[in-house]
Parts: sequence; structure tokens; C-alpha cells
Amino acid sequence: MATTTASITLSSSDLLTDNLSLSSTMNLYQHGTTATGLDECNYHRANIPTGTNFTLIQESAALNTSGANYVYIINKNTDVTDYVVVSIRSEVIGRLYAGDWMFIPYSDATTATAGVDDPSGDDSDIEIQAYTHECIVEYAMFHVGETLLTASDS
Amino acid sequence: MATTTATITLSSADMMDSALSISNTSTLTTAGTDTGLVETTGLARKKFANASEFILLDHGLAQGIAADVTADKSAKVYIKNMNDRGDGTKYVAVLINSIEIGRLYGGDWMFFPWSGGSNKDVDIDAYDATETTLEYCVFYE
Repeated sequence: MATTTASITLSSSDLLTDNLSLSSTMNLYQHGTTATGLDECNYHRANIPTGTNFTLIQESAALNTSGANYVYIINKNTDVTDYVVVSIRSEVIGRLYAGDWMFIPYSDATTATAGVDDPSGDDSDIEIQAYTHECIVEYAMFHVGETLLTASDS
Repeated sequence: MATTTATITLSSADMMDSALSISNTSTLTTAGTDTGLVETTGLARKKFANASEFILLDHGLAQGIAADVTADKSAKVYIKNMNDRGDGTKYVAVLINSIEIGRLYGGDWMFFPWSGGSNKDVDIDAYDATETTLEYCVFYE
């Protein structure tokens, strides 16, 4: 069992009359457990060209057996006009401008008809499209397990 | 102009052979600029005890932040499930336009950009009718 923590600090000294200082730390646990940590993860870096909506994180039947998965994405560009649109099931979540990050739970909760690019029959891919310029993104998923695909030449 | 920062740290000493340590800070700015966001809902707290999907952040309204949060603007949402973890089976699902994004178990938080727009409410759907407390905050332009 692994111990993985995710912490956030939101702070501002001039947004409100008083200082804003909010911190929270969570442990990434498996579903149905009180203290068993997630023990698998992927950590990637990718260049996202403009003009196409890409699958960033492929759905996997194993991911929705519990729904305790977490995704982190950051746009590493530095030009403030560069952004990526992040979607799930074609539903736009929001835009990550240069330097922005997001951290969300990912339950991959739906089931649909399997397709050529969708072998598990689930459409809950996390998708990404870059605008203005190619964007470099880094992303990680902490999860309980992915369905491994049988090699086509096996 | 205000300066508001969001810092994330992801760390694990034993998940992999080498320690994992990811840390990044972003400054919350208006869309496509380096001008800081100057509006916020402030930190809000909501208790509920039902297992039906309901709207946490409503885009059905014509005024207030509903009118301010749109795809071409910048907005960030923080939500935390304040409940204890319990036996690890209870959660609240967070949805946009009734599409499930993920599940916040007791003690879990999330932070994400929000495009908003018509019908793009942020909804909550609890696992059961256990009393649950959420804290949430929106930063927007």
C-alpha cells in the first residue's frame, strides 16, 4: 500500500478585505477502504497541437469498478493567451491557460457501446484541445488499475 | 488587481521506486491576460441530506455570477467534501450538465477551471441521504 497525498493552498492578501488563506490535504485512498492508498499512477508530458480534440486519458473498464481515481493536468506554456480546453464525454469542463492546473476525481462512470477506439465500451475519456498555439501539458492519473489491452499481434 | 495563487503539491514516498513530488503554483488571472481575478463568491458552506442530484452552482440564473462565468472568461472552482471518510464507500458525485466528473469521498477536494454557460451547472449527487457538508468557492472575472 502506498501513501500519496494531495495538498492545495489558495491564498491572496488583496482579493478580499482580509487575507485569504485556505489549505487542505487529502490522502488518495481506494474506494471502500479507510486507509488503503492507491498504488498505481501514470505521469505524462505531451505536446498538444492545435486544431484537433485529442483523448488525453483513455477510459478503461477497470477505472469504473470503484470510482476512486484522481487526475492532475497542468498547462506548461508561458504565453498567457495559450490555453487548452479540457472535456469529459464531450462536456467541456473548462480552460487551462498557461500555468493553470486542475485536480479532479475521475470516476469514469458511464458505459456505452464499444467502438474501435473504445474497446471497453465506455466514453468517459478525458479530452483536450489546444488553442492559439501548441501547448505542453503534464498530466497524472492516480488510479486503482487500468484494463490492459491485448496486443494486436499476440 | 488582486493576486490570488493556487498551489498544489502531490507527493508519495512509497508509490514508486523513487519519491514522487509534484508542486506547482498558478496565479488566477482573467482569460488570456496576466491580470488577476478580482471577484469571488468567498468560501461557502452547504449542508444537505438527500440522495437526489441538486445544483450547487446555478447557471439558470440571469444575474450574479451566472451571467459572469462564460466559456471565454476565466473561472476556477474549489469544492471539498467536509465529511469524515467513514468506511470509504460514501461520496458525492460532482457533475457538469449532469455529466459525472468524479466522486469526492469524505475529506477529498477538487479544483478545476469552469467554463460555465447555459445548462452548465455544477451539480452534486450524493451516494445516499447521509448528512453531508461541502465547502466551495468560485473565483471569476
